[in-house]
Amino acid sequence: MKTLALIFLLSGFFFITVAALGVIRFPDFYTRLHAAGKGDTLGIALFVIGLAIHNGFNLVSFKLLLIVLFIFLANPIGGHVLSRAAFKSGLKPWTRKGE
Amino acid sequence: MVSDQLLLVFLVALVFIVFLMLYRVLKGPTVFDRLNGLGVIGTDAILILILIGFLEKRVDMYIDIAISYGILGFISLVVIAKYFDGKGDVDQ
Repeated sequence: MKTLALIFLLSGFFFITVAALGVIRFPDFYTRLHAAGKGDTLGIALFVIGLAIHNGFNLVSFKLLLIVLFIFLANPIGGHVLSRAAFKSGLKPWTRKGE
Repeated sequence: MVSDQLLLVFLVALVFIVFLMLYRVLKGPTVFDRLNGLGVIGTDAILILILIGFLEKRVDMYIDIAISYGILGFISLVVIAKYFDGKGDVDQ
C-alpha cells in the first residue's frame, strides 16, 4: 500500500512538473492552455489520490477524493472559459512560419 | 515509505513551480496568459495547503481551507474570464 502511494505521488508530481514546463515553454496562448488544462488536471488528481492512499481510510481521505472530483470538473471548465474569451477577443492561434 | 522528508521535498518543489508560474504571470504577452498562470498557481496552492497540513499533523483543518481556496479560485477565474470576454487586448 505504501509503495502504491509512492507511485501515485511520483507520477502526479511528474505530470505537474511537465505541465509547468509546458506553460513556460509553449509558443502561444492556446498551446499553453492545453498544457495547463490537461497536464495539471491529471497531475493534481494523481497526487491527491496518492495522498489519500497515504492517509488511510477516514474522513480526510474522503475530502481528498472530493477535491479530486472538484478539480476534474473545475479545471477543464476554467480552461474552456478562458480559451473562449481569448478566441472572441480575436487572438489568432499560432502557426508555423511559411505555411 | 512515504516519509515526512519526502513530503517536505514535494512542498519545496511545488513552491519552486509556483515561482516559475510567476514568470508567466509577469511576462505573458496577453492578459489571458496571465490569467492562465494565475489559475495554475491557484491549483498548485491547493496541493501546498494539503502538504502543509500533513507536515503540521493538522490535515483535518487544512483540508477545509484547501477546498474553499479551490472553489474561490475557480469562481474568480470564471468571473474574470467572463469580464474579458471579447474585449481583452490581444496585440502581441
